[in-house]
Amino acid sequence: MNSPLPPEPPRWANRFLEWFCHPDLLEEIQGDIYELFDLRCQAIGATQARRRFAWDVLRSFRFSTIKNFDWLITSDMLRINTRIALRQMGKQKVFSFIKIGGFALGIAACLLISLYIKDELSFDQHYVDGDQLYRVVAHDSYQGEAHANVFFAAPMARTLLADYPEVVSSARISPGGLFGGGDNPIRRADRDEVTFDDGFMLADNALLELLEVEMLNGQQSDALTEPGSMVISRAKAERYFPGEDPIGQRMLINNNPDQTYTVTGVMENLPKHSHLHQVDFLLSLSEVEFWPGEQGYWRANNYHTYVKLRPDVDQAALETKLLSIIDNYYIPSMEAEGITDAREQSKNLRFSLQPVEDIYLKSGDIIDLLPHGDIRFVRLLGLVVMMILLLAAINFVNLSTAKSANRAREVGLRKVVGSRRRELIGQFLVESTVISTLAVVMGVALARLVLPFFNGLADKSLAFPWLSWWFLPILLGLALVLGVAAGAYPAAFLSTFKPIDVLRGSISRGAKSSWFRNGLVVFQFTTSIILLIGTIVIYQQMSYMQNKQLGFQKDQVLLLQATNTLEGQVNTFKEELSRLPGIDRVSISDYLPVEGTARNSNRFISEGDERLIAQYWLVDYDYVDVLGMDFVAGRNFSPDRLTDSSSLVINEAFAKELGYADPVGKRIERNGERTIIGVVKDFHWRSLRDKIFPVALSLGSSPGMMSVKFEAGKLDALLPQLQALWDRFSPNQALNYTFLDQQYAQMYTDVQRTRNVFLCFALLAVFIACLGLFALSTFLAEQRYKEISTRKVLGASNWHIIRQLSQNFLLLVGLSLLLAVPVGWYVMDTWLTDFAYRIDLNWSMFALAGGVALLVAILTISYQTVKAARIDPVLYLQR
Amino acid sequence: MARIHLGEFEELVLLIVAAQTGEAYGISVLNDLATEADRKVNISAVHAALRRLEQKGFVESAWSKATQARGGRRKRLFSITQKGEAALVQIREIRNRIWGRLPDLGQNLGFS
Repeated sequence: MNSPLPPEPPRWANRFLEWFCHPDLLEEIQGDIYELFDLRCQAIGATQARRRFAWDVLRSFRFSTIKNFDWLITSDMLRINTRIALRQMGKQKVFSFIKIGGFALGIAACLLISLYIKDELSFDQHYVDGDQLYRVVAHDSYQGEAHANVFFAAPMARTLLADYPEVVSSARISPGGLFGGGDNPIRRADRDEVTFDDGFMLADNALLELLEVEMLNGQQSDALTEPGSMVISRAKAERYFPGEDPIGQRMLINNNPDQTYTVTGVMENLPKHSHLHQVDFLLSLSEVEFWPGEQGYWRANNYHTYVKLRPDVDQAALETKLLSIIDNYYIPSMEAEGITDAREQSKNLRFSLQPVEDIYLKSGDIIDLLPHGDIRFVRLLGLVVMMILLLAAINFVNLSTAKSANRAREVGLRKVVGSRRRELIGQFLVESTVISTLAVVMGVALARLVLPFFNGLADKSLAFPWLSWWFLPILLGLALVLGVAAGAYPAAFLSTFKPIDVLRGSISRGAKSSWFRNGLVVFQFTTSIILLIGTIVIYQQMSYMQNKQLGFQKDQVLLLQATNTLEGQVNTFKEELSRLPGIDRVSISDYLPVEGTARNSNRFISEGDERLIAQYWLVDYDYVDVLGMDFVAGRNFSPDRLTDSSSLVINEAFAKELGYADPVGKRIERNGERTIIGVVKDFHWRSLRDKIFPVALSLGSSPGMMSVKFEAGKLDALLPQLQALWDRFSPNQALNYTFLDQQYAQMYTDVQRTRNVFLCFALLAVFIACLGLFALSTFLAEQRYKEISTRKVLGASNWHIIRQLSQNFLLLVGLSLLLAVPVGWYVMDTWLTDFAYRIDLNWSMFALAGGVALLVAILTISYQTVKAARIDPVLYLQR
Repeated sequence: MARIHLGEFEELVLLIVAAQTGEAYGISVLNDLATEADRKVNISAVHAALRRLEQKGFVESAWSKATQARGGRRKRLFSITQKGEAALVQIREIRNRIWGRLPDLGQNLGFS
């Protein structure tokens, strides 16, 4: 016969069949399937036949056909193995403690971070129609620099609704302080007492339905339709109207009868996980006009705009369609003001729709002046916590294999009396699962213990979801998965010992896997050093920001808030205040170089007809002196010159943008012609993340805040007098004050938080790595007692032996440093790009991190090395 | 009289085994199912049915001689037991009795 080889069925399928099939049934089933295969080869071809063969095999994989496997773990074995595991732990208390404790630490960290991440991810997930809710974002680029914000003109919202059938409803809010949002003094119309409260926001009535605000009293459909109406939260209703019906009550803002609002609804406190959670007072935008004509004006952007779309709308397509708004409204309104290159100016303008559920975490570079989380921070934390868990698991693997020598004899004997490898693996897996279960229990307890501290650190109010149905199963699953994952290598490793080698004693005790163990130590230290580098860099950037020359003096300045309620008396109050002993100067202005104070954005036109955008700050004569700004050219405003009321003092950034060599004396257009009389040195009026942008100071009234420069050390004596003075002028309102340096520090609470979190976890990582190192050095030293004894007998000094024992470990740490530096450099350099004003990375940071790691490593192993070096050789040589 | 637990598919397979008089094995049953009853099933379903029938004692099996075909593997040949025959007869009788109570069913249902 020289016909070609007959076609063969797929090997894997046949093997699978032979593997699972009960031997009594195999011949019949296999024979039939083979026969079918041969028949089909002739009928439908080999390829099809092979496919059908595999299918037949898979279909034959039934409960009734599979053989009786020896399952790894039966209940008897489980019981016995658990007992053996507990005995093993009892025998080696320190080792077991390090194993379990290290694991528990990792699990505790993992739990806390998971809670934190879950909390961050749960923002704005509570809307029924969440997938239809969007916020409109404007993207533009100015001199090559892209930026995005959420501020739109008053007609934007209604235009979206009218021009686009995709939009079901639209609503505006104005949360900023410029037009009455943010914090305000407020009082009941029928009481005298004024309270400085926050959480104010102006809003359209449509917002209530759009963001599904839960009303306790009043209707979603019309609570804010009346001009001068107001919806307050349950918390505020209970605070201002305890035991009364708030509906129909009137409240005065800024102690100003023109700002009287009537409570027309009470809403449930906005969910903690809403991006607007801080809002407690919703003031109606109905018939509000910030200035005459503002409601139809397209060139002043003061509103955030939300839309609800039809369920089936293609977001990207709609974003493209929105571009016609630029042609239809933006450009005509610019041209109406005589701007000839309107099209050129708005050529980069784009609109996008941001899902409301993304606002909190994924707003990145979008400027909206709302409190935010940061998705990058969340991801970073996730990474860090995985690392720590991995470190803890590695410790476990490392310690188990290191201790293998002690178990080798046990394994050998078990094999001799008939244990199969599979059963040994089962035994070690049970052992590691017992340990991981204990570790999970300890980890949960530990996490619960430090939760309050962690809440303080992360500025959260997290709680364990004990009662959620998924919580305990997840913990159980975690224990099992960790137990098996961490136990897999030691189990595989230990179960391979050959009885004859072990029992003859020829196995080199645990030395075999030193390569693997060394790799794990390197990994642990690399991770620890990266975290250390991160911590050091963040610390240095933080102290850089706190000590940077800011262009103004932030120390010894007290800020009085809500002074606008003094009304006509504000200047008298200022004069009397200035006369108090210990007070240097007092300035009245809402505009201060810290976040959370007044801001705006205005257009200026230079002599050369150049347009530029700058802040326009209303200040008084004392402003520059109170804040300790320096002039680079020109002079300050002077009460003696009448013309100064229409003069400007600008900052260097403004001057640079104007491009004049000497800007003093130049004229500039802004609500009439102004003269520049001075240039102050650039001062950081925004966070150090951002570049300094142009600011113009002008004399004017903005009486909401008073800055008081006091003499060092006089504060304690000063405060009672200040209180007395305030009570005389404003008996019905509590004195509210803060300090400029405190406000400044608050701008960087997030950096501080990152720093603290990093510090905690870096310490944790180092600690876990050291636990591992400690156990490992103990083990390796014990192994070499005989060798050390011999060396000592032959005349080696203690010092010599310590060096012998240490150098291997130190080499590993050194290698880790080499690996960690490039990674740490890259990661932290990326982090620093967020800051316009930043430190540069230099070798000293890396040296410090490496030094710390090395020092800790030396200290950790020194206990064991010194102990080993001082042993009595006689004891060990006799054996 | 004990109740007979026989599924519809099992009954069909049992009938085929009886008809093939000692020569029945997986593939022969599979073929008959396809040609006689127009039922295309997977071979594993036939194996399962035969296994159940054997457990219930309706069929018994014996190994054939090994041949060149099937890679030298033997066939498991099934034949019906007395119990199996009794079961088939009993089922048929029950059916016949009930059929007898339906007058002129053939006409009404359009059988010829």
